[in-house]
Amino acid sequence: MNPNANGQMQREWGWWIAIYLFLGGIGGGAYTIGAFNWLVGGVAGESTTVSLWIGFPALAIGSLCLLVDLGSPTKAFLAGMRPGTSWIARGTWIISIFMVLAFLHFVLHLFTGTGQTSGGRTLLNVIAILGIVFAVGTMAYTGVLLSASKGIPFWRSGVVPVVFVVSALVTGHFTIMLGIALTSGSAAVPDPLRIMAFEAAVLVALEVLAIVFFLQAAFRLPDPRESAERILRNRMFVIGYFLLGLAVPLVLMVVAYRTMPQQSPTGAVTLLGIGAVLGLVGGVILRQAILASGALPTLNMGGFEFRRIARPKDPKPAPGLMPPV
Amino acid sequence: MSGVAAEPTLNRGPSVEATMPRYGMVIDLKRCYGCYTCVMACKTANHTPPGVFWARLLKGESGQFPNVVRQSLPVLCMQCDEPSCLEVCPTGATMKLEDGIVVVDHDKCMGCKACIMACPYGARYSVDEWESYFPDGLPLSPYEEFTKKAWEEKSGVGVATKCDFCRDRVQEGRDPACVEACPAKARTFGDLDDPNSEVSMLIKKYRGQVLNPEFGNKPKVYYLPPR
Repeated sequence: MNPNANGQMQREWGWWIAIYLFLGGIGGGAYTIGAFNWLVGGVAGESTTVSLWIGFPALAIGSLCLLVDLGSPTKAFLAGMRPGTSWIARGTWIISIFMVLAFLHFVLHLFTGTGQTSGGRTLLNVIAILGIVFAVGTMAYTGVLLSASKGIPFWRSGVVPVVFVVSALVTGHFTIMLGIALTSGSAAVPDPLRIMAFEAAVLVALEVLAIVFFLQAAFRLPDPRESAERILRNRMFVIGYFLLGLAVPLVLMVVAYRTMPQQSPTGAVTLLGIGAVLGLVGGVILRQAILASGALPTLNMGGFEFRRIARPKDPKPAPGLMPPV
Repeated sequence: MSGVAAEPTLNRGPSVEATMPRYGMVIDLKRCYGCYTCVMACKTANHTPPGVFWARLLKGESGQFPNVVRQSLPVLCMQCDEPSCLEVCPTGATMKLEDGIVVVDHDKCMGCKACIMACPYGARYSVDEWESYFPDGLPLSPYEEFTKKAWEEKSGVGVATKCDFCRDRVQEGRDPACVEACPAKARTFGDLDDPNSEVSMLIKKYRGQVLNPEFGNKPKVYYLPPR
């Protein structure tokens, strides 16, 4: 394969950033669902507990992935010194505030029994409402970070944050389901799980719509079109994300929802667990594929198109071309 | 006014009226024959590592066989008046100086690469580790050792880097290395705010254009069309 064939793709943001975006999405999505369930007092107290165990650690690990990717991580604190000047600066504040709220909620709810008293419950309600605001901000930020990149036309779409928010809710939801499946196993209460399977199916269907709309919009313009064609030629995206990460979990959730009352708890939990794992793997693949398909724009001058822009890390000469010294 | 065209002036440094110049460049595509001298002059002057090309040369084709024309397009940082790299920089490392040159303060850059993604002209680079020009794990040659040291002192490691119109040379009253080295005299450097500068007159006389004006960055590198 000609190494130069990749010459027009961005190569700076790779797996570390994909995992950062994925974990940021999971943290925001899981917390939003868990805190919402806490506020409405419905579905399952277990989902709130699991989401609190997931939210803060996911964000913390995601932030570590970002630090690993930074060229000069010791200067990362500078990103918070100029809030409001750029999306990364805003995002730093949004994620930091969210992490503090998620941590507070985590500690107060799980370790101090604050929710047992009326005053404590009010305090947790306030934290949950604020937490949801910043969790949604975090989910949206993971997409806005890309859509603010003027140099990559494929990402310059208002649909990207929508795709990332929906995907974050889906992966957050799957993480909670997986957490419940792993911690409760066959002892899991069927009714809440059945409702969660229904919610997951709806969210996955929304994600299918969002991603189809995103790609369809990308096909309208030449530069994003090149990226859209590239992502659709990517087997990992088509098989790993679209088929195994969306279609199969959607089917499994629908089957689980329809058969839950009759099926044994172990069978239902197994179905949901498999669907959740596949959906989570799909979430990472989605982000990595969108990053890897980011093509640089075509430059035009005097009726000529200059499509290839040489980027760093041009290939070295093949071994053997240089005489040994 | 006498009616006689004024002599072009280069007007590099601050003038006696202390008006700050706004530096720009004109590249005449009719003169450029794609010899890559600018690319090599830039690498030599700025000690850029393997794979980093602050001055680059793109090749484009137009027409259909048998009437096909091939054209070279030298590109570099466009030193935009409204740089998108500056908008996305979270730490304030990217700055536009009073003379219009966009620079990176490597003491402030945290290496997030957002500016690289934001530049539609692909002019920015980040280098985490200096790789040898030679394969098979050979040790760095003495020249590589020298350039690596010079690069790390000037540009830092793990941070964003870009062309700065050879600012050190310009402050000494010299042209950027790519301008000085061009054997076809295709490049001209000067003050865009001075109507009598060579760059201003070339842009006016030959209808200089910027690359992809639809990006909205207002570049300060102008091109005289190839035909």
